[in-house]
This record gives sequence, C-alpha cells and structure tokens, in this order.
Amino acid sequence: MRAQSYDAFQVIADPSRRQILTMLSKDSMTINSLAENFDMSRPAVSKHIKILYTAGFISITDIGRERHCVLKQDGFNEVQDFINYFDKFWDHKLRKLQMILNNKAK
Amino acid sequence: MIKEIKHTFYFTQTPEEVWEYLTKPELMEQWLMPSDFKPVVGHHFRFTNPNNSFVVCEVSEVNPFTNLAYIWKNDWAVTKTPYTSKVSWTLNAIDGGTELLLVHSGFELFRDLAAHNGGWILLVNKLVEIFKADKK
Repeated sequence: MRAQSYDAFQVIADPSRRQILTMLSKDSMTINSLAENFDMSRPAVSKHIKILYTAGFISITDIGRERHCVLKQDGFNEVQDFINYFDKFWDHKLRKLQMILNNKAK
Repeated sequence: MIKEIKHTFYFTQTPEEVWEYLTKPELMEQWLMPSDFKPVVGHHFRFTNPNNSFVVCEVSEVNPFTNLAYIWKNDWAVTKTPYTSKVSWTLNAIDGGTELLLVHSGFELFRDLAAHNGGWILLVNKLVEIFKADKK
C-alpha cells in the first residue's frame, strides 16, 4: 500500500480541476453547485474534488446538509516554488556579475 | 502568490560598462549563460543551460545604456510552449556607479493554466524533475 499523494502540477494538469479552481477563485461553492457546471456524473466531479482536497488546493466545510469548498494555500505552494526558483536563480547570477565587475575594478 | 521577481543591484561601473555585460554574449556567458543574443528588437535567441536545455527568448526592448527587455520562455523542445515570461533590465546612473533593476514578470500561472492545455504542464513537470535532479 502506498500513501495517496499528488504532485501539484499533476493536480492542476486536468482541465476540469483547473475549472473548479477557477470557479472557486471567485467564491466558495457547494459540491452540488460545482457539479451543475460539468457535463459529467456527480461521482466523477466528486473524485476531482477529492483530489483537489487531498492535494491541499481546497478545504471542505460541512454547513447543514451542504459541503462547501474553499480555496486553500497549501496546494499552491509548490507552484510558488517554481517562481521562487527563478528568484534564487537571478539573485545568484547577479551576485556573480557583481563579483566579476568588482574584480575588474581592482 | 508572488507574480513578479525584482532585484536591484549596485555597481561601481558606469551604465555603459554594465550594459556591455548585459548585451555582449561573450561577457553575458561569464555570469549568466551562453547565448546567441544580439541587442536588436525582434531578434530570436537562446540561452543554453549546462544540462543542454534551452531558454527561448526574443528581444523586445533595446534602449542603449538604460533599458533592455526580452521574452523568456521555457522550451524543452516540446511543441510551441504556451508558457512565457518577460525579463526586463533598467539601468540608472547614480552617484558612484549604476543601479541595475531586474524584473522578471508574467508569472500569472493560473491565468496561463486556465488558458492553455496540457503542453505547458508537461514542460513544468519536466522542469520540476530537473530541479529535483539538480538538488541531488
């Protein structure tokens, strides 16, 4: 048995899941109201929601008989890491340039 | 989410001297990467990484000694990449040297993700693998 884990980029690779995230970026929604937007079975939508939930992209709160989905930061962190890579990349490169020019000045 | 990278560096050299290091391939190679860059708007060029991957670029702005910008795409030799960003350099003459500002922008990932299909994700997955391999 392998613990269920998802790569953030795999999670958002699926167009339906991206659509769910886009809809939730406007407002929180119930699973039922999300499902109404898709031309697929309710269990299929639930499966996507479960993947988004497991990967930390959304949280689910039960309010009365409805399950409400809200965006969550955790899943997006890996995407943020992608940008952070370039941040470090440029810092490193510019330090190198500074070193070269400082040496040249001597 | 950060969507833009900014760095400001200071040099004791004049903007003219710093400009040389931003625009002459033999000098760029010393601190950045080998490339076939030319300071001509519309010029297509590539930076080559040591692992033989490329960054595909196109010069978009050239104002000698003050401002330079290029489109920066991640292209791992898979179709036309929908993922693009912009690297922009601004040089300011200051007392005792030059202030150099770098802005790397266009990282509106979710807008890009929503607008494009799997190709981009393929690229990013590859990129993530490469980063992981680099760390080892």
